Amino acid sequence: MIEEKKSMQEEVASLVEKWKDKEGNLIMILHELQNYYGYVPRPAALELSRVLHAPLARIYEVITFYNFFKLEAPGKHTISLCLGTACYLKGSAILLNEIKTLLNIEEGQTTKDGLFQLDVVRCLGCCGLAPVIKIDDKIYGKVQKNQVMGILSEYAEHKPEV
Amino acid sequence: MGAKIVFIKDTAVNQDTTQDFYVHFSNILRENALEGKVQVVRVADIGIYGQGLVVKFPEENIIYANVQEKDLKNIVDKTVRDGQVIKELLYQPEPKQLRIVLRNCGEIDPENIDEYIAKDGYRALAKAINDYQPEQVIEELKKSGLRGRGGAGFPTWLKWKLTRETPEAQKYVICNADEGDPGAYMDRGVLEGDPHSVIEGLILAGYAIGASKGYFYVRAEYPLAVERIEKALKQAYDCGFLGKNIFGSSFSFEVDIRLGAGAFVCGEETALIASIEGRRGTPRPRPPYPSVKGLWGKPTAINNVETLANIPPIILKGGAWYASIGTEKSKGTKVFALTGKVKNSGLVEVPMGITLREIVFDIGGGMFSGKGLKAIQTGGPSGGVIPKEYLDTPVDYENLQKLGSIMGSGGMIVMDEDDCMVDIAKFYLGFCVDESCGKCVPCRIGGYQMLNLLNKITESRGELTDLDSLKRIAVAMQKASLCALGQTAANPVVSTIRYFEEEYKDHIVNKKCRSHKCKHLLNYNVIQEKCKRCRVCVINCPVNAIEGDKEKGFFVDPKTCVRCGKCYEVCKFNAIFKE
Amino acid sequence: MGKLTPKDLERIKTAHADDGKDWIKVGMSTCGIAAGADKVYALFVEEIKKRNLNIQVKKCGCQGMCYSEPSVEVRVKGLPDVIYGKVDKEGVIKILDKHVCGNALVKDSIYELRTKR
Repeated sequence: MIEEKKSMQEEVASLVEKWKDKEGNLIMILHELQNYYGYVPRPAALELSRVLHAPLARIYEVITFYNFFKLEAPGKHTISLCLGTACYLKGSAILLNEIKTLLNIEEGQTTKDGLFQLDVVRCLGCCGLAPVIKIDDKIYGKVQKNQVMGILSEYAEHKPEV
Repeated sequence: MGAKIVFIKDTAVNQDTTQDFYVHFSNILRENALEGKVQVVRVADIGIYGQGLVVKFPEENIIYANVQEKDLKNIVDKTVRDGQVIKELLYQPEPKQLRIVLRNCGEIDPENIDEYIAKDGYRALAKAINDYQPEQVIEELKKSGLRGRGGAGFPTWLKWKLTRETPEAQKYVICNADEGDPGAYMDRGVLEGDPHSVIEGLILAGYAIGASKGYFYVRAEYPLAVERIEKALKQAYDCGFLGKNIFGSSFSFEVDIRLGAGAFVCGEETALIASIEGRRGTPRPRPPYPSVKGLWGKPTAINNVETLANIPPIILKGGAWYASIGTEKSKGTKVFALTGKVKNSGLVEVPMGITLREIVFDIGGGMFSGKGLKAIQTGGPSGGVIPKEYLDTPVDYENLQKLGSIMGSGGMIVMDEDDCMVDIAKFYLGFCVDESCGKCVPCRIGGYQMLNLLNKITESRGELTDLDSLKRIAVAMQKASLCALGQTAANPVVSTIRYFEEEYKDHIVNKKCRSHKCKHLLNYNVIQEKCKRCRVCVINCPVNAIEGDKEKGFFVDPKTCVRCGKCYEVCKFNAIFKE
Repeated sequence: MGKLTPKDLERIKTAHADDGKDWIKVGMSTCGIAAGADKVYALFVEEIKKRNLNIQVKKCGCQGMCYSEPSVEVRVKGLPDVIYGKVDKEGVIKILDKHVCGNALVKDSIYELRTKR
């Protein structure tokens, strides 16, 4: 336990280092934390509050204001479904329903096995390829409803149940 | 010298006979023993639409349009053999696009500063620092008539002048690259394709204003753009375009990147400043404007990506040159992200004053689906729809505003007859309700109540008085909201009611959605003549709403039906209809 | 690199003036990459090396033709500059076989732009 605590202290300290003396650094530090952990864990936020001499509430008010920051560990693969205007017109709402039905989760949730997280985003800037789904860093364009299953199964793990 | 090259393409809207034409052309060439000397190339897109068969000689730049098969002999005899031009067939389209902002996008390697320099990059900076006083830079911009490309269209020179004239030692410039409008990606295109042009514009802004520090505020959702700006900034420092004593002068300038974190409201100046300061991105009342009290209380000029990319060419070629392009009050060009139900979606840059029809049909190649155009949406969630009757309106700030929309940052979304205007209004309003920061009441409560009313209408519970309520709340939001987000959030609703009130009434009174978008207003049933009694719909219906038997036939019970559309999808015989 | 003077800008410009060499440019913006431009770029590099061709492959930004991504612009002496759209693996091989080595344009995949710069 003590080991672990110490390492998170060090981690946070090293992530803060680059921004320590810059004005208005909180958002950039949170980006660093989220890049590293995949989300902003509460212990890390606590540690950050200690390092920056800022109240935890001040850190949380920022985390919760911005859509980009997450407070919970994301699934192994993040599905970002675009609901920008171009995608919406070309049927991304239908894709959203299909994914929800296939994975049995709602927006912002993670599947029980932790494999997929479903996020809805507003415009990935690929309107020419609408409708668009992004899984982790890979973008799928001009997706049809009947392709969703195939795309998701690329990420499924074929480990037999023990 | 190789064979003479000829491009051919059938540009008719509903057919493509390019292949037949190709065979015919080849035959005639063979008859004339020219087949080895000419290369006829079928092309996928010739950049011309609705002009029948088009024949183009790319090397000579001769274009013939509406060519008939009988003309071929003539073309082969005269143009192919002798290089003569046949005047009767000649088609000389004016290039519709004019690239100033996108001048280097797709031309140069964005990660190589030398290629930017080879395209006259950083020469505007050298010229300004060596030949111009900061006031002269602002004067040149005044001559150019450039207005902010972020949406509101405030004259850029005035913004700079006000910031320059505020007495304060420390000043800042910020590049607003928090492109939040869903369905617009002009800024991403420029940042990824030509980051140095924006950086040069930012340095010039710093020089003109007397700022020693600049920031890029970029969306975190654009990782590639961030990466390219980072690389470009490092190169600019290495070459001495950033840092101390630029070009040996007393002017020094530093630039840093700050990432946004997914908040649409941060496109608003004061909210953006709050975000750079590391706080919640909520706006504050203006005045004082950022030009007086901005970042950390110091005078700050905030310019959009596209605005900044315009600056180097203006300094290099002069304000008068820029002012020669465009309309009386809107000068220069505008980049649009043309998307939606249009054939060629992409980034287009056009001179101000071009008509919507030219953009959609001459550049965009017309409709994607073959369905009729219903409306064009500009300005994203702060804008409005423009119905097809106004397609010939010249595009500029004033005209779009008169039509109840705005120029906005440059999203242009083409909608066809399948798109329901109530649904579109609901989509945009839903976006603004999600993105409202919650600080002021009109935006927070007003938006939510309007969305409730729209939900009511699309879920068949609408009443005619709802239209009045919508209009009333819209006015309150426009008048009383703290920032532009709230003031404009109702625009999509107001403008769809203005042009498509009948469609709203159809939803409310007749409980019908002609575009089949609002699923609560749909009715499904079985077309008895087509039904093969296979029971696939019965088995798939999640609520057992399909009743009947093989003798009597099957029927959908509208009371039980939840309008999920499953029966419509699974029927192999198209025996389910929806209306 | 060291600090550049206005004279250096001239020098770099002259050095980069059209040298008459052949090149292939692949549009590498988010939309291009999403449509597979990175694979197209890698395949060009690989194939050109394998065939020992004297042509340069470059990266560039977005030409604005999102509908035809991935797009590739080709300059080969004796032929007009053209932009190929929706280029896939097969397209890469065709461009190299026909356009670069065979002195002929590839059919059905040229996209013409009407733009004044």
